[in-house]
Amino acid sequence: MTTLAPRGILVAGPRTYAALAATALVFLLPFYYLVVAASRPMAEMAQSPPPLTPGPLLFSNIAKALDQQNIGLALVNSLVVAGVITLSTVLLCTLAGYAFAKLRFRGRGPLFALAVGTMMIPPSLGVVPLYSLMVALGLAGSLASVILPSLVAAFGVFFMRQYLVQALPDELLDAAKVDGATALRTVWSVVLPIARPGMAVLGMLTFMTAWNDFFWPVIALDTTNPTVQVALAALGGGYVPDTGVIMAGTLVGTLPVVVVFLLLGRQIVGGIVAGAVKA
Amino acid sequence: MTLTLSRPEPAAPDAPGQRRRARRSRLHAFEARSAPYAYIAPFFLLFAAFGLFPLIDTAWISLHRYRLGSSMSFIGPDNFAWLFTNPAFYNALLNTFTIGVLSTVPQLLLALGLAHLLNHRMRGRTFFRVAMLMPYATSVAAATLVFAQLFSRDAGLINWLLGVVGVNPVDWRNGSWAAQIAISSIIIWRWTGYNALIYLAGMQSISQDLYEAAALDGANAWQQFRHVTLPGLRPTILFTIVVSTIGASQVFGEPLIFGGGAAEGGALGQYQTLGLFLYQQGWQIGQLGRAAAVAWVMFLMIVVLVLVNAALARRRERAA
Amino acid sequence: MQLPPSPARKGAALVAGLALLAASACGSGGTSPAPQDAAGPVELSVSLFGTFGYQETGLFAEYEKQNPGVTIKYDSTQSEDAYWPALQTRLASGKGSSDVQGIEVARIADVVTNQQDLWTDLRDTAAGSAVAGYLPWKEKAATTKDGAVLGLGTDIGPMALCYRSDLLGKAGLPTDPATLAAQASTWQDYLALGEKYKASAPAGSAWTDSAGGLYNAIVSGEQKIYYDASGALVYADNPAVKQAFDTAAGAGSTGLTAKLEQFVDPGWDAGFGSGTFATIACPSWMIGYIKGKAGDAGAGKWNVTTLPGGRGANWGGSYLAIPATSPHKEQAAKLITWLTAPEQQARLFTKVGNFPSTTGGIAQVSATTDPYFANAPIGKIYSTAAQAAPVQILGPDDGVLKKVMTKALLSVEANGVSPADAWNAAQQAAKQQIG
Repeated sequence: MTTLAPRGILVAGPRTYAALAATALVFLLPFYYLVVAASRPMAEMAQSPPPLTPGPLLFSNIAKALDQQNIGLALVNSLVVAGVITLSTVLLCTLAGYAFAKLRFRGRGPLFALAVGTMMIPPSLGVVPLYSLMVALGLAGSLASVILPSLVAAFGVFFMRQYLVQALPDELLDAAKVDGATALRTVWSVVLPIARPGMAVLGMLTFMTAWNDFFWPVIALDTTNPTVQVALAALGGGYVPDTGVIMAGTLVGTLPVVVVFLLLGRQIVGGIVAGAVKA
Repeated sequence: MTLTLSRPEPAAPDAPGQRRRARRSRLHAFEARSAPYAYIAPFFLLFAAFGLFPLIDTAWISLHRYRLGSSMSFIGPDNFAWLFTNPAFYNALLNTFTIGVLSTVPQLLLALGLAHLLNHRMRGRTFFRVAMLMPYATSVAAATLVFAQLFSRDAGLINWLLGVVGVNPVDWRNGSWAAQIAISSIIIWRWTGYNALIYLAGMQSISQDLYEAAALDGANAWQQFRHVTLPGLRPTILFTIVVSTIGASQVFGEPLIFGGGAAEGGALGQYQTLGLFLYQQGWQIGQLGRAAAVAWVMFLMIVVLVLVNAALARRRERAA
Repeated sequence: MQLPPSPARKGAALVAGLALLAASACGSGGTSPAPQDAAGPVELSVSLFGTFGYQETGLFAEYEKQNPGVTIKYDSTQSEDAYWPALQTRLASGKGSSDVQGIEVARIADVVTNQQDLWTDLRDTAAGSAVAGYLPWKEKAATTKDGAVLGLGTDIGPMALCYRSDLLGKAGLPTDPATLAAQASTWQDYLALGEKYKASAPAGSAWTDSAGGLYNAIVSGEQKIYYDASGALVYADNPAVKQAFDTAAGAGSTGLTAKLEQFVDPGWDAGFGSGTFATIACPSWMIGYIKGKAGDAGAGKWNVTTLPGGRGANWGGSYLAIPATSPHKEQAAKLITWLTAPEQQARLFTKVGNFPSTTGGIAQVSATTDPYFANAPIGKIYSTAAQAAPVQILGPDDGVLKKVMTKALLSVEANGVSPADAWNAAQQAAKQQIG
């Protein structure tokens, strides 16, 4: 399956390519189907066998979707929400993850267990008290109500801790201490550069999760100030939801994430590779 | 990598200089000691406000009869008694377990294999890595909607493909195992790339020297994978197992949308997970007190699972 | 009713306040209406779920034109299942609900029984005069024990029988509406026709769409279903319920149904066009649904006749209500009176298929025919059904019970469970849920 060039570096052979191509096909097929479903009239999707090629209605369905809901505003809102959450999460979780990974302090074990424990709370019930809290703070209906609960994530802390345990050698930290660096300086000059690939991965995953978050935003926001998922949930219109319009709207809602990922993904993914090549 | 931060030592000791240095080093010591707490504080503060408070309030609600829209009345542990004598709860528990295993085990194995493949030097590497994360870019709703269409009994692509090879159409929605397999495949499709990326990040942080050493010892590709990659990935693998376990126990979006928005999980409840059961009780039937009880039971269950997981892992590490 | 304050909430608010200082709070304004003088310009917020059709028909824009100074801020959630919990959460916290909220008929019993304090009594507002113009059973459902009227009816769902005349013709059954109605005047006759269809039908096509749908049609013609007049639960002993269940289960276990769960199975949507079922009990709003799902290819293939059973039946319909916290009750009342006036209801029927719930509106549409359905006189059919519909006794857990029954019937047709076992399972599940 894999040939080894000298020095143990893996080089892909034809079977590797084939396996990857097959996987990519399976992963991308539903997207293609989404395009097909978004571009054909509702009734045609009911045929057996279902149509396999896109039809003519893609742009008119997209136009209808944009007309029914303020998807432009929703895209901007989602960008703001997901962007703020991503920046905050990556920064705060890296700091916390570093603390749990490499710093010795009283209560480290129990506190880390508590942090991981917070991941185990099922999200869908906390909404009633959380909404009352938002109302008490005067934030219900604003983007802040969707941003604040997600500013840090236990997942991020856990992830960065595991990553730094592995990727941050103790010798570097000891060297910094010997050189008399303050804790903050150590973070800035030693930890962050090494953590960067992990932070990039965490950032990407956090952005996508925040973008796709549905349950809480539907409760906290309404369609006058929606995120993308809230706007999509309201698509359809009337007793007869037009599945073509819904699929078209879904396509529009998914596209920005894909674009961001395509634009930045190369650098992020490249960063992962770069982080591995030690001089 | 060296840091040149050292300050030049003064040539001759002087008392005020010594005091200044003492103060500065006390400051540094204080900063060093308080840093960890400062770094983890934002997380815990935010959690206290937006995570802990709803959790405690939920525990409070679980002791009440609370119908959405009316007032709360205290009934003590009755909700829990209702829960533990309810066959629907045990059905949901079993379904959560089976769907969890069906979706998590293949997913993590596939992710490991995929990450290994992506760890090669190859052309079009970025394309493949981007393609593998695309499923995660879709929302649960979008993905499940498409898959529900694909798995449709009469007009679905999958049954049509089965027909092409001569297999009878499967009633994916109404069957017992069929529905669980369909839902698990949605979850696998969505999350494999995510976990593969995490494994890839972990793999990339394993030092090349280890591989070189193994190659020099005459290890082939598979042996290198078993003896260098896997051990190096252990913290990452443990991490994904814990996270996937937690995620699998809370699955509710996929079965909800696969069922078309109905929270019963099939005519026989064949794919109602605990998460879906919670959603049904709280948001469709409107009994928030009972839903709170389910939520707390789920929470405690997950805690036990993770502790067991962690204990097993620590035992294996100690043995290794 | 507010959640009782718990000490945790105050502490959390303090911590959250600190967190707020540290975090960046971006966002635009919330949904609270601007404080305005009653005589000055008013912004009315209207929150509905997907089925009303006011926006599509341009009624909001027209009202704004006719009433300068009034702006309508409209938002809608497609799925009522997502709309209701969000609304309830807002009502529970006392803030965030709009001036006008839509309420579905399945929720109205819960509202009049448990939520009297949360909604405005419309008799005290400008909408009070409109109450008399409704079909009596429509308004009674929105009236509390004390006589307070909490909602104005928007539409109703009188039921008829929609059928594929081409498929019936191929199986040698009558295709003319009058003949068909005569031969299927009782449910037993209807099922007998179904057996004939099964014997000579094209492959892959069943007589009706689902046992659950059949059950719903039969039971919707009853006055007393799950609750009796005093509000007590009677689902376990009501012979009408058992009989409807048995009839539907019988049809399901003998293969007369296509085993498609209504609304949630994509195969059900597909079935309108592909002919997997030949007949379906269709309320008036389903006319538009069939047109959309079957598309142009289905034009002329569908027809409409009277529902078997000889009684009217109703499925669906909604109300417009004003939460008690609204600061613009009078203006909101004027808006909803206009929106539900006979003229507007008639327009909605022609545009989106929602059947009027006012007697005046019904009169205006009684002559409508529909070319898609072979020029069937749908106005007349549905008016007759509406007038004949019984005054259904509604209860807060009707929705839950209907789901339990439908689920049990699906297990009969799709999972091979025996009707007796399914009935017992339904009874147990109902007791577990509702006690």
